[in-house]
Amino acid sequence: MRRRRVVAILVPLLVVLHLFLHLGLGIGKAAPDFMTVALLLAAREVGMGAGGALGFLFGLLEDSFSVLAFGANTLALTIVGILGSRTRDYFVGESRRFFFTYLVAGKLLRDLIHWLVAGEGVRQPFLNAVVVDGTVAAVYCAGLGVLLLLPFERKGALR
Amino acid sequence: MAVSTDSPEEAWRRRDRTVAVGFFVLSLVILYLPAGVQGELAAALRATALRPFLLTQETLVQVRLHAEKAEVLQARLDSLAAIVTIQAPLVQENRHLHELLGLWERAPSVFLPATVIRPGTPGSESVFLLDVGSERGVKPGDAVIMRDGQIGLVGMIRQVRGGSSIGIDWSHPDFRASAMTADSSVFGIVEPWRGPFREGDRLILNGTPYHETLEAGTLITTSGLGGIFPRGIPVGVVEGVQEEEGRWRKSYWLRPVVEKGSVTHALVVRGGGAPEAIMELFGEGGSGSGGAAQGGGGPAPPSPGRIR
Repeated sequence: MRRRRVVAILVPLLVVLHLFLHLGLGIGKAAPDFMTVALLLAAREVGMGAGGALGFLFGLLEDSFSVLAFGANTLALTIVGILGSRTRDYFVGESRRFFFTYLVAGKLLRDLIHWLVAGEGVRQPFLNAVVVDGTVAAVYCAGLGVLLLLPFERKGALR
Repeated sequence: MAVSTDSPEEAWRRRDRTVAVGFFVLSLVILYLPAGVQGELAAALRATALRPFLLTQETLVQVRLHAEKAEVLQARLDSLAAIVTIQAPLVQENRHLHELLGLWERAPSVFLPATVIRPGTPGSESVFLLDVGSERGVKPGDAVIMRDGQIGLVGMIRQVRGGSSIGIDWSHPDFRASAMTADSSVFGIVEPWRGPFREGDRLILNGTPYHETLEAGTLITTSGLGGIFPRGIPVGVVEGVQEEEGRWRKSYWLRPVVEKGSVTHALVVRGGGAPEAIMELFGEGGSGSGGAAQGGGGPAPPSPGRIR
């Protein structure tokens, strides 16, 4: 229960932080994708329906500035939310290493779906957008996600 | 009559799956909604949930602009005063001639200053938000130029709401501008070229006659053809030949006059802009007065191009 409470507080905070960094401060790629971290974190605690709903909502927020690829973020995050909640049934591990891998995979999947769905005119070449940029962004995002959870982990709030 | 034998947990799981599939289908529907409906939805989100974050960036940009050193501003003011003093008789003469010919009613508000906000979210890399909208006469298709630093074309307005508008910069795949050399000898179409990474996005000048060769350093401005951008706005400077196809087509690399990432404040050229006002801002033939009219004292663009 403690873990759920921590996640319930962390998720909205991460979303606000993401929007503040990306929209408020206008930092582009330099700011990590805390929205995906928040979604992946929340997805482990809720069912498929709620995971999909959260992904849908987060994606819509991200899409509000997409002119040509409207809906690409919504679809990507909805799928990530649904699949994220399914991971609970297959992986019960809560180690730091698992969480890091989970975040990397989630973020990579999100970027991959976005790349597939976004029109050809909008997207960069696959190798650059997903393999290079996507991997760096995923590791960056997962690293920060793990760091962010460290204090809670130490206090045993994530058990 | 069929009786359900599902345990409560199984029933919950089924309901959960149905909700998940529902949201998945809804996200697909969102993807294929008509562009107008998507725009309305996006505008509603920007005006509600995202408004505080946009206001934050707007405030920060304003603060940054105001924080410029007073000495720098004073120096710019002095330079502008000198230019305005020199050009005052010309402007007056120009106005007098226009009045005599009855061609054009002076509209000092052709240029509308606006704060540029960059969303920084995936899928919005070539998009910017302006804090002016239809309430101030902004319309889709209006040109957006940069006022500070170098003066040139930033992009165009795409969607307009009451108090805000969305624009695309020159790196957007939809961006096209009919262009010409500053001395109006060669015409072509300026379009974006996607680099391997976003930082590598460049402009190319396409569709120029094969027998005309543009030298590196030639200034390319908008031609006014096509009715989207007014004539005379600097777009880029020729860097070299990008591609030669057979013996009938050549395209050139252009170095954009305005680096998209540096734009924090811009001017919207309303209603296609009066060509006279544009020429006054940039200097006839692109020699660049540095924005004596309302433009804000940027360095003069490179000299007009020569053709061999």
